[in-house]
Amino acid sequence: MNARRRTQSFPVQLWDLTLIQLANWRWSWRGMLLTSVIAPLLSTAALGTFAARDDPDTLAYILTGNVVFALLFGTFDKVATHFAYMRLVGRLDFFATLPVYRAALILATVTAFLVLALPAVAVTLLAGQAMLGLTLAPSPWLLVAVPLIGVSLCGLGALVGILVRSPEEVGSLSSLITFVLLGFGPVIIPPDRLPDIIETLSVLSPATYAASALRQTVLDMPDRIPLAVDFLALAGFLAGSLWVVGRRMDWRST
Amino acid sequence: MAVYDVVDLTKIYPRQTTPANDRLTLSVAEGEIFGLLGDNGAGKTTLIRQMANLLAPTSGTIRLFGQPLGAAPLYVPGHIGYMPQDGLALNNLTVGETLYFTAHLRGLDRRDARAERDRLLDRLDLGTARDRLIVRLSGGQRRLAMLATTIAASPPVLLLDEPTNDLDPLHRRLVWDLVREINREQGLTIILVTHNVIEAERVIQRVGIMRGGRLIAVGRPGALKAGLNRQLRLEIVFAPGSPPALPPGPAPREVVPGRWQFLIEREAAPAYLAALNGNESVEDFSLSTATLEDLFLALAEQPV
Repeated sequence: MNARRRTQSFPVQLWDLTLIQLANWRWSWRGMLLTSVIAPLLSTAALGTFAARDDPDTLAYILTGNVVFALLFGTFDKVATHFAYMRLVGRLDFFATLPVYRAALILATVTAFLVLALPAVAVTLLAGQAMLGLTLAPSPWLLVAVPLIGVSLCGLGALVGILVRSPEEVGSLSSLITFVLLGFGPVIIPPDRLPDIIETLSVLSPATYAASALRQTVLDMPDRIPLAVDFLALAGFLAGSLWVVGRRMDWRST
Repeated sequence: MAVYDVVDLTKIYPRQTTPANDRLTLSVAEGEIFGLLGDNGAGKTTLIRQMANLLAPTSGTIRLFGQPLGAAPLYVPGHIGYMPQDGLALNNLTVGETLYFTAHLRGLDRRDARAERDRLLDRLDLGTARDRLIVRLSGGQRRLAMLATTIAASPPVLLLDEPTNDLDPLHRRLVWDLVREINREQGLTIILVTHNVIEAERVIQRVGIMRGGRLIAVGRPGALKAGLNRQLRLEIVFAPGSPPALPPGPAPREVVPGRWQFLIEREAAPAYLAALNGNESVEDFSLSTATLEDLFLALAEQPV
């Protein structure tokens, strides 16, 4: 009876779990889509009114910074909240008693949210260029940058959702993390307007690399951080956080 | 071979001082149906959740097929099916989707997972609920769907927490028949928590009775009841509103309005029944050997 049981491969697990997570938005996808589009769009429009039209660099930071807000922090916040919800209703227990890798569950969850975030990214970029008077110059590497940015904070999101017990506290903490990481680095604000200490510390923030990658792949702007370094940093952050949350952290209740 | 070996298991929840499980030692053999009985707060669910590796013990060890829980990430989930007391785990999936994905993720290929889904829908009388969302099902159907999900792809060990809650008598029988069937035909080890002691007695092969976080008795129901077998259970039914006017003897306990029960010594039973025959307010009575419920109640009344 204690024969070795068959476990599905990681990609098969990921596919099944993504379909399961996508089923959550069966009835609510329209509302989620609308809110995820509106927030970065309004923010882009509002910040754009304060920026000088003859300062394309600042306008570029506003546009790409808001896309980072939607893509990186939008998915991070949703993953954190969703993990807290899954814990609350017993869904995390259900997955914990299935032979699936935790990393597959986290990636499936973020993938489901990423699918809903993509229209927000496209609308923000297209409407943003019109509002701010910028010209988009998308490179093929955008196809790597967008999904990589979207998933890179999923491990941290799962960590927050699992460790912080109530969904209300999760919302507060994820907002705090979002605004700290957005503000402490050249994401929405150009580096020459940041204090030196913040610019130095910004190398620790994944938002810095996400924004840099977007500026290079969406607007073809030269950046002090090479695109390959952006990708490596984001991939490293993803792999490291998945390793910590998936393999090292005890998910059991206490 | 022991499926589970639990040694000195203690669980104290954060900010509490009284253990929910207090130095439990227990072994469950392969292929047996083991029942965990106890009153509310006895620690049954806490024990089951630790056996499913969902709750961290404070001290002590649990081994599954000889391996400590948590030895490898997919070891416990690869061997168990766990049915919680409540929960809406996959409330946005239909019953059919839930069964298919569970069976597939437990290792069946896609064709076999579809066949397993159809078999379970049929076996658990869920055919009409196949395309309905779990969240929209009645409490009883949801319970059946959860049971079907737990047993999908036949994991070798099943941990069932109150499997017959919310079910009508017909479906409770269906569940007990199914438990017996999968144990007999597939050799699955089944550990179940229930308050439905009388019905569970028909399927349970060994029982552990818990009280105040401790296991106060473990063994075969027959062996545990041996001490009570000198007594018989007498159940008497009166017309509604009619107070029991009974011959002198043991004090009865009203289980439901109009239905009274008590244990009586074997030797005293004939005289008592003869005296009862003259009582016109008695509508019905039955005499039987002591049940597991009688044992449970007798143990519950003993001081800790």
